[in-house]
Amino acid sequence: MFKNTEGNGFIMERAIKINNLTKLYKDVIAVDNLNLEIYEGELFSLLGVNGAGKTTTIKMLATLTRPTNGDAAIFDYSILKDEDKIKEVIDISMQETAIARKLTVEENIVFYAKLSGQTDEEIIASKEKICKSFELDKVLKKQASKLSGGWQRKLSIALALISNPKILFLDEPTLGLDVLARRELWKTINELKGKMTIILTTHYMEEAEALSDRIGIMKDGKLLFVGTKEELFLKTNKENVEDAFIEIVSGGAL
Amino acid sequence: MKKSLSRTIILTKRNFKEILRDPLSLVFTLGMPLFMEILFYFIFHNLTSQFEMKYLAPGIVVFAESFLSLFVGLLIALDRSTSFLTRLYVSKAKPYEFIFSYALSIVPIVIIQSLLFFLVGGIIDSSIFGIGMILAILISIIPSLFYIGIGILLGTICNEKSIGGISSIVIAGQSVLSGMWFPIEGLNEGIVALMDALPFRNATRLVQNIMNGINDSFQDFILPLIIVLAYTVVSFVVAIILFRRKMVSK
Repeated sequence: MFKNTEGNGFIMERAIKINNLTKLYKDVIAVDNLNLEIYEGELFSLLGVNGAGKTTTIKMLATLTRPTNGDAAIFDYSILKDEDKIKEVIDISMQETAIARKLTVEENIVFYAKLSGQTDEEIIASKEKICKSFELDKVLKKQASKLSGGWQRKLSIALALISNPKILFLDEPTLGLDVLARRELWKTINELKGKMTIILTTHYMEEAEALSDRIGIMKDGKLLFVGTKEELFLKTNKENVEDAFIEIVSGGAL
Repeated sequence: MKKSLSRTIILTKRNFKEILRDPLSLVFTLGMPLFMEILFYFIFHNLTSQFEMKYLAPGIVVFAESFLSLFVGLLIALDRSTSFLTRLYVSKAKPYEFIFSYALSIVPIVIIQSLLFFLVGGIIDSSIFGIGMILAILISIIPSLFYIGIGILLGTICNEKSIGGISSIVIAGQSVLSGMWFPIEGLNEGIVALMDALPFRNATRLVQNIMNGINDSFQDFILPLIIVLAYTVVSFVVAIILFRRKMVSK
């Protein structure tokens, strides 16, 4: 157990501890000396403009990209040394839809369940649970490539939950979706809150406002702010996340 | 070990379904070569020995295998472009499990290709039926591994837009440098030396020679076998190295 150092007094289990995490691409600093703690069960949103370092941060935490410097512990496993252990407790849904296109929705679910090592009974249970949570029953026999963009994204996120991850990375989960599909996904993500730790990156300020327990704002690879919405509003003297975000990243120039 | 095998089989089944459900892959790997086998036989077999069925059928089998590089490559390039593979990298599957699954998923198509082109060839010219044909069907798996290795390599480094153009160089290489469509006797020595050093002609000769009988076991069988195997091993090793690099970008 760790004390939540953000100071709200709750005792929470720490899920992720990031220490001086840095990523350089040639001479470009994608992530610059990042230090952050994320707690079990919280939904943490990383906000930032393009190139802020959000996706690189997620990729490093998910062991998809090696950091240039620093380390991060996921439930005390190092992203540098304990890749296999970390892969047991995480899953990811990338910006682009990540599904097997020519397989049906059902075949996609069974494929991922089998790949995560589930038994036949567990696969049936996973399928039922996922179908219920994401209302996939109506498209179960449809080929994934023939689904609408919204349904494909929904399936893509659903697949990330099959392995029952303790930590779920959602990289721009609603990018390119229409407003209805986005709201539907918000509902689904809201239902996941508290059941696992979710780290979400987004460009949509209203998304971060609606879903997050805490928010981190990044610019040029640096973390400029970490805290709750209320703390963000207090710090910037603004009343919504978008205005507060602009205040932080522009340094009050806009 | 057991878990690794199980994951490879799961990935293989998925890859096989994806390929099978792409009608274009079946047209190019089965339909078009079959049409060429029949057409070229009936037009040219009386004009040049090149197109007698005992040479044409094994030649067509290897030619059709060259299309596999396109379809394996396209599958991998598409998996990469949609982040499908990135997601799978977060599973416990290892680079070699991905590589073997892509390779294994193609093997049933290789066997179907061989059986189809030899059987149709045999129906047209029954003299090719025999133990040589059975041996040729078995040995034709070796050149297919070369093309699968090249396909995996190209799929790892190319995107889904460039893979078609680049793999068509491999297909053209097999077509032009295999010597199956024209007699090589009159060609420049340097060109022939190049053809002998590359895998394309060796792949065709390997299957043709095993089908029609071997006079000099080293020249007719061992040497082409070594050359094709060497290119196959190199293409797989490079593919695994590059695939591993793509899995965890530095």
